Parts: sequence; structure tokens; C-alpha cells
Amino acid sequence: MPIRTIIVDDEPLARRLVREHVSAVTDAVVVAECGNGFEAVKAIQELAPDVVLIDVQMPKLNGFEVLELVEGSFAVIFVTAHDEHALRAFEVNAVDYLLKPVDAARFRQAWEKAISAVQRKTLRPVRTLGALGQKRTDRILIRDGGNVHVVPAEAIDVVLAQDDYVEVRAGGKKYLKQQTMGEMEAQLDPQRFVRIHRSTIINIDRLAKIELYAKDSRVATLKDGSTWNVSRAGYDLLRQLLDR
Amino acid sequence: MHPLLAQRERLLLYLSGWAFLATLLAALTAPGRWTWFEAAALIVPVTLVYAFFSLSIWYLVRAMPLTTVPIPRLVGVHLVGALASSMAMVLVVQGWAAVLRELIRWSVALTAADLRLLFGGGVLLYLLAAATHFLLAAFETSREAERRSFEAQLLARDSELKALRAQIDPHFLFNSLNSISALTSADPAAARMMTERLANFFRASVAAGRQPLITLDQELGLARQYLEIEQVRFGTRLSVAVDADPDVLVLRIPSLLLQPIVENAVKHGIAQTIEGGCVRIEARRRGSQVHVRVTNPVDAESTGGPGTSFGLEAVRLRLRAIAAAEAALDARREARSFVVDMILPSDL
Repeated sequence: MPIRTIIVDDEPLARRLVREHVSAVTDAVVVAECGNGFEAVKAIQELAPDVVLIDVQMPKLNGFEVLELVEGSFAVIFVTAHDEHALRAFEVNAVDYLLKPVDAARFRQAWEKAISAVQRKTLRPVRTLGALGQKRTDRILIRDGGNVHVVPAEAIDVVLAQDDYVEVRAGGKKYLKQQTMGEMEAQLDPQRFVRIHRSTIINIDRLAKIELYAKDSRVATLKDGSTWNVSRAGYDLLRQLLDR
Repeated sequence: MHPLLAQRERLLLYLSGWAFLATLLAALTAPGRWTWFEAAALIVPVTLVYAFFSLSIWYLVRAMPLTTVPIPRLVGVHLVGALASSMAMVLVVQGWAAVLRELIRWSVALTAADLRLLFGGGVLLYLLAAATHFLLAAFETSREAERRSFEAQLLARDSELKALRAQIDPHFLFNSLNSISALTSADPAAARMMTERLANFFRASVAAGRQPLITLDQELGLARQYLEIEQVRFGTRLSVAVDADPDVLVLRIPSLLLQPIVENAVKHGIAQTIEGGCVRIEARRRGSQVHVRVTNPVDAESTGGPGTSFGLEAVRLRLRAIAAAEAALDARREARSFVVDMILPSDL
């Protein structure tokens, strides 16, 4: 079985160089070359590659964001001119991190690491930065089949827990994303988003009023008229934020 | 050096303060038994000697500053100092009185009450002098701190200006070498041309960096060379338009001032968009000013612009250092583009 490989880089020449390095090793087949992150997400989902060679700096979606959006078991090798992301790369379980200009010997070394992990099935699953609780983001990325939605954080009205997913509601649209509420909460700006209940995070800019309807039980009404239960802990959080 | 001895005016002020207090003390010790003149002749010279003696408090204040030595200990030390000095002063007054009696047969007799009064006055004078010295020390410290911070500012500005002289981003070099590496097998002629362009650009920018001012023509030439190299990397995503009035080309501008702006246009503009676009540079003459504008496309969905980037801030600082009043930099995000306007005096 040839090793199925996807190359992701927004620069045509950079892709060509990586392709050349790949073609110098035996038993590899490049199943896709992608010029941006959206194409990459689609290709990785549809083609189930063994190895993904990916740049970090790309328009719209960077390399880390692409990995956050895809599922599957494949070896990741970053190829970039910037050395400052190396630590993060290993934290998301990348197999190796190559610096541009890529030299042949170093490429072969990375490739062998990747292949041995793929063949021995010792590949560690790609972790997302969101799961590492590291990344505060001003936008949420949601994959819907092969398509990617980029939702700016300020456009989000509420986030709701839905079994293994979170439902993100923004501007009248609903998106499902496979993530935990805790991860979502960690990613969003705590000055703006409050977890008012175990299963609800609201954008504080959308809050219209809070009413008491039973002892220790409150209801938050948003500007669009929707109402959400507020837990006691959630009310404390809200008050802390609003008092400031 | 003692701050009071360092300047004659200060010393005079200090001594006249003491002379005033000495006169006061003389007035207090002249309860009708002595004439004014007698009291003054007895007290004033001794007090002035005491004034000089009190200058030594400075070294005590320096050795035991208010900020580090515990207050009770300070109070103790200066109280002992006050009692001892005052005691000495009283002894000197008695001695001086004896001398006066011997010398000009004045009938000055000091009673126990006089001595107590003098002793009290001596203690007060010592404490007053100590307070003055503490004030002086605080004043000196704050002036020293001010001088140091000013020096640090000057140094920082100096090194900043050096650093700001547009350091070429090393990633530009790595990415260019990566492109050359890719071209080597597929298109050797293009690889060679890229190598030459890169070498020419670096040589020209190093030469420009050695001069404080270069012509706008030279600066635009550098920008063009830079963008040509980036065009190899970005392919069809990057197009370039340079439009300059012929009469501005000979004007001189600070070297490599445009370079970080153009780098930003590529790094934060072209590189962040999938479809790319045009980096446009315009240069116009407006009276005694040169107006330079750099425009680049930006990702419509991204929120921030490169307005706070280090590169632009560096340009702004350089402009301020070179011609604060007549130069300006304005960077703004429009719907789909980022515009940097730079105004420079034409007579640099």
C-alpha cells in the first residue's frame, strides 16, 4: 500500500519542493495538493491520508486550525519558515517540524518517523489547541461536512450543550461542533461570554434582563427574546462581570 | 560633595537661615540683664560655628538614609546627636563667655536658666538642621533618578533608531531560499534569476541602510526589487503597481522608511488573503511636502489590521525623530484594503 500524502501550503513553489521530496521516497503517492486551509480540511476529510505535510502561516485558516477541524488518523509534519511554533506543533502531536528551506536529509528523517508511526499504528491522535485549553480565539471554526464556517466570536449569541456536541447560535444560524462546553468556555473571552448554566454560555452583549422566578432560580432573557435558565454559580459569575 | 558646600548661593542661604535663628536665640537669652549687643556677641558667633558643624549631619543622613534604616533607630541616632552637639555648644558658649570676660571685661554672667535655654535651643537647631539635610537628600535622590531616566530614554531612543533602520525579516530570506530550492530542478534559469534578485536586493538595502537619506527613486527601486522577489513566491496572488510623479523621484527621504510598510503590505495583506491582489505605491508632491501612499488588499473577514504592528510603529518613531512637526503617518483599515499614508517634508 503506497503512503497517501496531502501537501498543504499557500505557496505554489513551496508545494512543488515538498512534492519533489515526497517523490524521492519510495511508496508514496500525493493524493492532494491544497493551496489553502479550506481545501485542506475538505481533502483530509474526503481522502483519509496517511501523512499530511502542512504549513503554519496560511490565509484564513492556519495549519493548527486545519488540524482542529479534521478527524482521522494521520501523521502530521509541519513545514514552515517560522521556528516559533515548534513547541505548539509537538503539543498537538505532530510527528515532526521542518524548517524552510527544507533539506533532503532532514525531510527523509521526518518522513521515516511518520511512516514508522503509520505502519506500526503507534500514531498518537492529533490534539487540538482548544483541547489543550491554550488558545483564546476571536473566532470559532466549525466544520460542516467538507465545508468550514468561520464564526467571529462577537457574532455568537449563545452556545448550548448538545450531548457530545456544542450548538453555536450566531445571527439566527445554528452550528454543531464536536467539542465540550468546558473547551468552548476556555476558548471564549471571559469578559464577554459567561457560562450561566452547565449547558449554556451567553454573549453578555445580548443580555436584556435577568429575572428571579423561584428561590435561587433565575431566568436570563436575551435581546432576541429567548430565555435561558441561570444557575446559582452562573448568576454569581454574571454579577461579578456586570458589577465591574 | 556636600550639596550645600558645592554651591555658594546655597551655603549663603543656609547660613543666613542660621543667622536669623541665632539672632532669635540671642533675643531669647537677653532678658534685660544684657544689652542686645552683648547677647548677640555671645550667641551669634557660636551659633555660626554650630552651623558649620551641623553640615556634617549630611554624611550621617547619607550613611543612614530614610528609606532603608528603621525609623526608631534613626530617631535614636539623631536624638543622641542632638543632645551631644547641644551639650558641646553650651560648653563652647561658656568658653566664649569666659574669653569675652577676659578680653574686653564684659560682665556677662550665664545663669543655669540661660544654659538650659541654650541647651534647648541647641537641640532644636540640630533637629532643624537634620530635617533640612533629609530634605536635601530626598531632593538629590529624585534629581538623580530623573537624570538617570532621561539618560536611559536617550540611550533607548538611540538604539531604537539603529534597530528601526528596517531590519529585513529573516523569514523573507528563508522563504526566498525555499523558492529557489524549488526552482532549482524545475526551472534552473528562474532559480538563477531569483538568486541574483535576492543578492541585488540585499546589497542595495545594506548600502541604503548605511546612509541616513536616499532619493525616493532609490527607495522605490528597493521596494520594487523586494516585491519582485515576493512575486516569485506568491505567484499570481501578488501584483504590483508603482506610480510616482517624476519630480518627486529626486527628493530625499530617510533610507528604508518605505521598506517596512511594503513588507507589512505583503505579510499582513497578500499573505492573509486567498485570492491576493495588488500592492500599490503612489508618491505625489504637494507644495513643500511629499505624500506617499501604500495600499494593499486585506481579508475582508479579518477584524484587525496591521495598524499596531511593530513595523509601522517603527516608521512612526523614525518620522518623529527626524521631522516631528512636518511628518505624519496615518494607517487605516478600509473595507477590503489597508491604506498607509505618509507625509514628509520635501527638503530633507
